[in-house]
Amino acid sequence: MILVLLVCLPFVGSLAAVVLLRTDSRVLAARMAGAVTFVALVLTAVLYPSVRDGGKVRLDLEWLPQLGLNVTLRMDGFAWLFAMLVTGIGFLVVLYARYYMSEEDPVPRFFSFLLAFMGSMLGIVLSGNIILLSVFWELTSIFSFLLISYWHNNAAARDGARMALTITGIGGFCLLAGLLVLGHIVGSYDLDVVLASGDLIKAHPLYLTALVLILIGALTKSAQVPFHFWLPNAMAAPTPVSAYLHSATMVKAGVFLLVRFWPALSGTYEWFMLVGIAGISTLILGAYFAMFQQDLKGLLAYSTISHLGLITTLLSLGSPLAAVAAIFHMMNHATFKASLFMAAGIIDHETGTRDMRRLSGLLKYLPITGTLAMVASAAMAGVPLLNGFISKEMFFAEAVETHADSVLDRILPYVATLAGAFSVAYSLRFIHMVFFGPPPTDLPKPKPHEPPHWMRFPIEFLVLACLVVGIIPSLSIGPFLHSAVISVLGDRTPEYSLAIWHGINTPLIMSLIALVGGAALYVVMKDYLAKCDNGPPLFRHLGGQRIFERVLVTVSWKWARWLESNLGTRHLQPQLRLVAAAGFLAGAVSLYLAGFSPKPLAFKDVDPIFAAVWAIGAFCALGAAYQAKYHRLAALVLLGGAGITTCITFVWLSAPDLAITQLVVEIVTTVLLLLGLRWLPKRSEKVDNSVSFSARSRRFRDFLLAISCGFGMFLFSYAIMTQPVPDAIASYFLDKAYSEGGGRNVVNVILVDFRGFDTMGEIAVLAIVALTVFALLRRFRPAPDSIEKPEQQRIQNAFDAERPERSAGDTVRDYLLVPSVIMQWMFPVIATFAVYLFLRGHDLPGGGFAAGITMAIAFLLQYLAGGVRWAEDRLRILPLRWMGFGLIMAAATGMGAWLLGYPFLTTHSQYIEVPFIGKVPAASALLFDLGVFSLVVGATVLILIALAHQSVRMHRVRGLDAPKAEEN
Amino acid sequence: MSGWQQHLIIAPIVIPLIAGALLLFFDERQRVVKAMISVVSTLALAAVAINLFRLANGGGGAGAFDGVYLLGNWPAPFGIVLVVDRLSALMLVLAAILAIPALVYALARWHAAGAHFHSLFQFLLMGLNGAFLTGDLFNLFVFFEVMLAASYGLLMHGSGPMRVKAGLQYIAVNLAAALCFLIGVSAIYGSAGTLNMADLALRIGEIEGERRMLLEAGAAILGVVFLIKAGMWPLNFWLPGAYSAAVAPVAGIFAIMSKVGIYVILRLSLLVFGQGESAGLGLNVLLYGGMATIAFGTIGVLASQALGRLASYSVLVSSGTLLAVLGLSNGEVTAGALFYMVSSTLTIGAFFMLIELVERGQDAGASVLAVTMEAYGDADEEEQEVEIGVTMPGTIAVLGTCFAACGILLSGLPPLSGFVAKFAMLTGMIGMGASADQPVPASVWWIVGLLILSGLAALISMTRAGIRTFWASMEGTVPRVLVMEMAPVMLLIALTLTLTIKAGPAMHYMEETVRNLQQPRTYIDAVINARRAGVAEASGPDGGGGI
Repeated sequence: MILVLLVCLPFVGSLAAVVLLRTDSRVLAARMAGAVTFVALVLTAVLYPSVRDGGKVRLDLEWLPQLGLNVTLRMDGFAWLFAMLVTGIGFLVVLYARYYMSEEDPVPRFFSFLLAFMGSMLGIVLSGNIILLSVFWELTSIFSFLLISYWHNNAAARDGARMALTITGIGGFCLLAGLLVLGHIVGSYDLDVVLASGDLIKAHPLYLTALVLILIGALTKSAQVPFHFWLPNAMAAPTPVSAYLHSATMVKAGVFLLVRFWPALSGTYEWFMLVGIAGISTLILGAYFAMFQQDLKGLLAYSTISHLGLITTLLSLGSPLAAVAAIFHMMNHATFKASLFMAAGIIDHETGTRDMRRLSGLLKYLPITGTLAMVASAAMAGVPLLNGFISKEMFFAEAVETHADSVLDRILPYVATLAGAFSVAYSLRFIHMVFFGPPPTDLPKPKPHEPPHWMRFPIEFLVLACLVVGIIPSLSIGPFLHSAVISVLGDRTPEYSLAIWHGINTPLIMSLIALVGGAALYVVMKDYLAKCDNGPPLFRHLGGQRIFERVLVTVSWKWARWLESNLGTRHLQPQLRLVAAAGFLAGAVSLYLAGFSPKPLAFKDVDPIFAAVWAIGAFCALGAAYQAKYHRLAALVLLGGAGITTCITFVWLSAPDLAITQLVVEIVTTVLLLLGLRWLPKRSEKVDNSVSFSARSRRFRDFLLAISCGFGMFLFSYAIMTQPVPDAIASYFLDKAYSEGGGRNVVNVILVDFRGFDTMGEIAVLAIVALTVFALLRRFRPAPDSIEKPEQQRIQNAFDAERPERSAGDTVRDYLLVPSVIMQWMFPVIATFAVYLFLRGHDLPGGGFAAGITMAIAFLLQYLAGGVRWAEDRLRILPLRWMGFGLIMAAATGMGAWLLGYPFLTTHSQYIEVPFIGKVPAASALLFDLGVFSLVVGATVLILIALAHQSVRMHRVRGLDAPKAEEN
Repeated sequence: MSGWQQHLIIAPIVIPLIAGALLLFFDERQRVVKAMISVVSTLALAAVAINLFRLANGGGGAGAFDGVYLLGNWPAPFGIVLVVDRLSALMLVLAAILAIPALVYALARWHAAGAHFHSLFQFLLMGLNGAFLTGDLFNLFVFFEVMLAASYGLLMHGSGPMRVKAGLQYIAVNLAAALCFLIGVSAIYGSAGTLNMADLALRIGEIEGERRMLLEAGAAILGVVFLIKAGMWPLNFWLPGAYSAAVAPVAGIFAIMSKVGIYVILRLSLLVFGQGESAGLGLNVLLYGGMATIAFGTIGVLASQALGRLASYSVLVSSGTLLAVLGLSNGEVTAGALFYMVSSTLTIGAFFMLIELVERGQDAGASVLAVTMEAYGDADEEEQEVEIGVTMPGTIAVLGTCFAACGILLSGLPPLSGFVAKFAMLTGMIGMGASADQPVPASVWWIVGLLILSGLAALISMTRAGIRTFWASMEGTVPRVLVMEMAPVMLLIALTLTLTIKAGPAMHYMEETVRNLQQPRTYIDAVINARRAGVAEASGPDGGGGI
């Protein structure tokens, strides 16, 4: 339970800090953070007895048990040691940050992120489930991003943060994949199971895959070559963040992971080569680069990289003793590096700069800080009697040993010594350039002085730890380290000694060479280093950072844009081409693959008249397609011809219902389209008619596609229709239409009863389309080139203008006078016909839909005959009401069945006796049909009105130009 | 077939229909009344959906609820049936849960941007719910049309040349697709003689020879329609334009539209083509097409400057992921995919609504500079480094947090549900070789790689956009955002958080769903044996034991 508390507490604290965001008190947030970290530290400390000597604390909470992802928290000696590091340094950093952060900084945000980070870090350390570990792993990346970019008004902070997130994010994704593979190999995501299955894992064919992926994760996090460059850029973060995340904890997560999986993954040649190459190159390059940094934090960052490389190298060796050294060095490095970062922060804080070229002789102003920094640097350089020395000796001892015979193994001692010398050189440089020499001359803050005592306290404490561990290692860190070692190595725990003095042996000689060599190196290069530009020679302009940025922009922006525009399109034509092609291929390919061979077409018993009708229909359809681009009116007329052919076909094949419906629909759509035609843009006369070859071939290709689709469709339908009729549900409809549906017109019974639900959906579609057209056209303003009056009206008006006895508009008004009068008279006739169609629908061709459209035609004619104003002066139609009524009527009919305990749309039919008319069929479906009727009228009229009102609106637009609005 | 619970099945269609119709009686100026009707209807829908969800999950006691509704009281293959099983109940709940925030968001201002917003919105819900519920192919077509017609109107809601242009493209492509739908359905009817999905599943085993080939060709043509709807490359170019042009709440609800195609594919492929000779029809198309879609979506995510397009391409990534993963046709993976579908729908819905809020405070030119500045980063090195933080205004902080949450969700980082979803799919996929000691198939590695890359692309793109929006341009005015607009986004994000915490039970539901789908027999029996009300039970076994 303490484990849950331990992981949750920082997150709770983080949320609490968010609440504090609104308060002005920066002390409160800091105190709260301090309290949280301190409690966490105490909680960790009290767990020690249970993890001593290989003990374990474990807690399982179910999260996603079926997939093996559970909240398993597990603390062993190693995790305990790391948790102490995280909470302990965490506490010191909070204390330090309390004084470091400026008065104006919004610190609650800072502490909130810092605590959340601490929680994530503890999560990594305590995860007993490898997927849970990956969860916390990514969380540290996210909070690291937020902390680096805390001063997000600095471009450097933003760039550094993004780079860190990108690199560690890539690593995190790879790690997750690697852990998934690992879990697949083992068959469980439980850490204990994984650790116990080392042999199984190493023998598995997927071992290398898992290893590479996990290593990418670990190496990116621990800033190993070639992923190291994010760390120096992350130095744009506030110094407490650098001290905490980028030296003591987060960057250690990578090596932590390597140690954690050391029993399961290490010991193979692949491990040795992959980890070894990364570790050794990081060790030497990091140390080399560190020498040439001018920024204090940059120097420390590269030094951190180098030390992490040292740990990685140790882990690559695969020997238990090396693993002990690695664990020990992790702790040592954290203590001295955190204190150095804090010292650098104090220097920055007091002088206003971190540029070593401007700093000098500070020992006079900062005597205590300076002394502390010197001790810590000495530990970094590996001077005896300090903790860095012991672990470095262990490293040298391991470097000399042969582990896996290879070039790598043989050069290791030399590389180690050289890197040691470099580290002596940069440690010396750090101290010498900052604290010695003449007093500084151009500091941004001229009078540096010692910081408040509590700001210095964390450094004092850590330096003390360096000394204590360095002098009496086995009494101070010894037992804790031992618990950690046992928990990782188990029964492979080697004999090791933490003594300072092992006699004069090879490691000691190597140490001496490194010390002397490093000092000599610094003396030689001192003058050059004092003035040179930032960064090592040759590599100065080849920064990993620039390469990264360039690559990122190239890949993620330039290539992506190129690919996007070449793999996609924003034009409609290619999309329709693709849809047609996909439809054609889907049909054709699946038939081809199935081995379908079309039957030969058989032309027998062809009725010549029917064939002629179809020939005309085909001609009309083709003509419509041919004329569609430039002669819209002609295309529309031809389309009508094709529609009529369909009607005739329906009649011919004894489907009068369909024919009637088709006919009225055909009329209404044609008229509506004709009304809309007026507002389409004119044909542009200026189009270049010389057609290029590519355009021609494109057209030819489209033509081919069209032919294929059409012909394919023809063959496809032919094939289906010539199949023997399947035992279709149709026969059921014929049987039951009258007996159970109460109607003799089967089509209508299907529409309103068997599949009345479809009809309900379709009338809804009609309603929606009408609403959409209305909504669209309400905002529509005609294009400038169609505002002009049509040619015919202009001629007619010109005719009026020429004759003094006629006033303007007379001819227009008289145009088609007789037909329009007839159309007006037709209204009652058509309306009656609609009612007739409606009533007979259930038994004979007709029905609500056809009746509705017929009724709509009646309205349509009135608009055509008299114009919008005339029609609306005389007829008050509220199409929306009609539509609403229709839909509700249909739905209510359906729901009526509920009252009788039947499902939606169950119908009831009988005949009722109406005076003068006789027996009238009164199926409840009739009410449904009434709904259909009402909706169809409403929707059609709404579209009509939307179109018709354009002409009214046009005058408004034109009215702006010509003050005298004309009457149409 | 008795009891009010049974009638609940039709409620998700009838409620929005009536609400949509009622709304027509009120003038555009009576905004409050309209809003009230719409809200009440949507809330009722959510209540019904959750109830059905509970029933489908076995909450109503065994036997009492078989999940089949015979419309017009006609027996199964002849009339139209509605079927609620776990999958359709899940989709209903998802649609309703997405609808509420979208509607609330729209009430803040967008619903007044054009005519008939509320009616169209309700009809869209009706179409969605109908498509999820129906067990009949032609009826599916009808509800597709309802949904699409409403989406045409909604897409052009708010007007403006950009929306109209995108809308007309969208309409043209979808009309072409509707034509394919009709061809496919008629081919299936012509060769199988039925439209009822369950009946089709029964008959398909008996159809042989040429009729079967024709049936499969018809199904393939039908499949193209759903792939267009789901947004598979190269049939998806309409999608980024349309989704990014739509007003924020519409784009939010559109997040579930592309999932309808996925739903139908999942339903039909497992019900009708799950067993027998036609098994696995077109799985390879799903697999490779899905992979191409992920790749294209990923590229688009990287290449997008405008946030709207970024989000639209995320829709494609999500669709591609689902298609590819369904193409693997593996139970565990499919369960993960269902989880992913829920998570990504909520995410994208939230993200679309967030974008509009974020962009309100920005001037359009700023975004163009951002990426190019990255390329020539030297320009800003001279900038004075001020090491004092800036206090963020509250609005920005909240927007920024939501944006970060969306970024985390889109790239599949922990701790939100995007991670769990990705994990569930990946673990299923990598585990595919586990059963018989066979190696993991190469296509799986490709998908794993693509999934990771797409997450990475989302991460890169979202940090780029987030930094540009929230950090680089502090001078920009703080957008005026209403609580009513912020709350829906936060609600959706909170839902993803809940989904993460309750991942165990949620995943359990998905697994049960997939188990149902893999045993189509239960579904078929329930439909075919569903009892008619008031008719003495004819022969045949007992009327199905719940699905």
